[in-house]
Amino acid sequence: MEVLGELAGGFGTALQPVNVAFLFAGCLLGLIIGVLPGLGGTSGVAILLPVSVYITQDHSPTTAVIFLAGIYWGALFGGVITSILFNIPGEPWAVALLFDGYPLAKRLGKPGLALTSSFLASFFAALIATVMLTFFARPLALKALEFGPAELFAVFLLSFTTLVGLGAESPLKSLMMIGVGLLLGAIGFDTITGEPRLAFGRIELLSGIPFVPVTIGLFGIGEILASAEEAGIGYVEKIKSTLGFKDLAEGLGALRKRLWLVVTNSIIGFWFGVLPGHGATAGSFLGYGIARQYSKNKENFGKGEVSGIMGPQSAADASAVGSLVPMLSLGVPGSPTSAVIMAGLIIWGLQPGPLLFVEQREFVWGFIASIYLGHLLTFVMCLTAVPLLAAIMRAPYGILTPFILIISVIGAYTLNNSMKDVAICVIFGIVGYWLRKMKYPLAPLVVALVLGDPTERELREALISRGGDPLVFFSTPLSTILMVLAVVLLLLPLVRSVRARRREPGATGIAA
Amino acid sequence: MATAAVLVLIAAVAMLDTASGALPDPTGAVPGGVKSGWYPFWSGMLIVVSGAAVAYRALTTPQPAEGAFRDRGSLLSVVQLVVPMIAATYLMSDRLLGFYVASGLYMAYFARFTTGYRWYWALAAGVLTPVLVYLVFEVGFHALFPKSFLYPAIPF
Repeated sequence: MEVLGELAGGFGTALQPVNVAFLFAGCLLGLIIGVLPGLGGTSGVAILLPVSVYITQDHSPTTAVIFLAGIYWGALFGGVITSILFNIPGEPWAVALLFDGYPLAKRLGKPGLALTSSFLASFFAALIATVMLTFFARPLALKALEFGPAELFAVFLLSFTTLVGLGAESPLKSLMMIGVGLLLGAIGFDTITGEPRLAFGRIELLSGIPFVPVTIGLFGIGEILASAEEAGIGYVEKIKSTLGFKDLAEGLGALRKRLWLVVTNSIIGFWFGVLPGHGATAGSFLGYGIARQYSKNKENFGKGEVSGIMGPQSAADASAVGSLVPMLSLGVPGSPTSAVIMAGLIIWGLQPGPLLFVEQREFVWGFIASIYLGHLLTFVMCLTAVPLLAAIMRAPYGILTPFILIISVIGAYTLNNSMKDVAICVIFGIVGYWLRKMKYPLAPLVVALVLGDPTERELREALISRGGDPLVFFSTPLSTILMVLAVVLLLLPLVRSVRARRREPGATGIAA
Repeated sequence: MATAAVLVLIAAVAMLDTASGALPDPTGAVPGGVKSGWYPFWSGMLIVVSGAAVAYRALTTPQPAEGAFRDRGSLLSVVQLVVPMIAATYLMSDRLLGFYVASGLYMAYFARFTTGYRWYWALAAGVLTPVLVYLVFEVGFHALFPKSFLYPAIPF
């Protein structure tokens, strides 16, 4: 078992004191970010990306990625706490936890059971998903190493069409957002010929639109503006939130009764996360749906059913882990958060994609081992520190909001020491707020912005290799299959809308 | 609807700028047959086509009569946040107020006038935040921020 040997080496890396220290710091920051309603996991990771650059000055990129991913794990667990205790989702992926988590805590008076079931489900799902990642990522990467430009382009195209075909939002709006991302990515020098494009004669535009300030703006500042409109947080009720061994035992008992649900949801969630563009948020709703669909007592859902907590939470965490697979193996981000982590890899001088498994084995396996450790650490922290984390919710809005803004500005500024980046961040903050309000999905935009350049490069290299013959994309069986799949996924919403219209005459199909 | 129209407009400008590369070049003068304008042009086309479809849907399906904002209050609360934010980030620039002064003023302003804390809490927030940022980023990570027009007469 070569994989186990590599993994053991990875644990050796991840268990170095400096890496454990940064993992702890990352998970703790993630928990805090997860609890704060105005600040999401994606923006948290983006804001702290510049900090990771400082980490790489003294330590290896492995330490930096362990730190960044730790934020993701912390936020996954932390977002749930406020959903359950206060009926306020700390993260978009914790919304599904409102349906049953809060009723169980409040109406049935069992906050301890609600919290421990959520933490246990997260932990077990992450464990299952990480085992799957351990065994699946490397073969996929080795296969991907054989890909030529045509296959790689087909993979990228497939990622875009998955965002359209399987996205939760309107497919047309997803398409538009992909176009916007591609266009923004194209600004600056042409990667093949070096010609300036879309710069309109302005020097500032020649270097292109940087990814990090855009993401901090879209997610960080956009979220603050959105939550300001929802009239702040206001009064937060006090609720008993200390966890004891009794709660843990009760949670474990509940888990044993729902083991199959958690295992199935983890496996489904993992594969769902592997699909580009689907992170924890979509996974969590999917998991809630599955839990409800196959439950014997459907009528209990919405009233504090434990399956309604474990279902979404296990799928959410498994999707988050799964979304790292395409990033590591193919260089395609599986979710907005992993898009930010991938941008980090590029900034630290690593090339995300299959070559990582050959050239950066210590990095990859140290990172994979840290996913196990990170979840264990976060789980223990959650069990012990819930009252402290719940207290963060009482942080005053008038201090928190401007503080998050200043941290966002620092994040945008420090990467290149450039006020231009700060301006970009603020502009995209307002844009992001507006797009969010008008129900335009942001994930396709972010993914397209990261993948725009590589997609174009592979497209043109493939064409160059065949003297401009577009049939090059159908020259090997694999690229043909991928291209056909991409087209099918693109047409999927259309088929669905036509069928829906046929079933109920007069219905409008997909909402625009 | 209006959002789609604005995005389509932006895309149209981008397409005009790259229109020279819109069509594949069959002469073989360009490697691969596509010029550098090809890709952005068709990205823009993607926006225009899907944007037109979004706009068409918005026009043909009955919309809730509600505006973008629930009431003046929610619009006001966003404007209250956006305007000081733009002002603060502008003032942060080098040779204006600098990062530390501008961020402190912004914290204090927000605490005092947007949320109505007592002046001493606002003052505390305005002083402590820049100090905290200085300790963490400038001392801890050796980051440098834009300084004010008085620098180097004063150290920030």
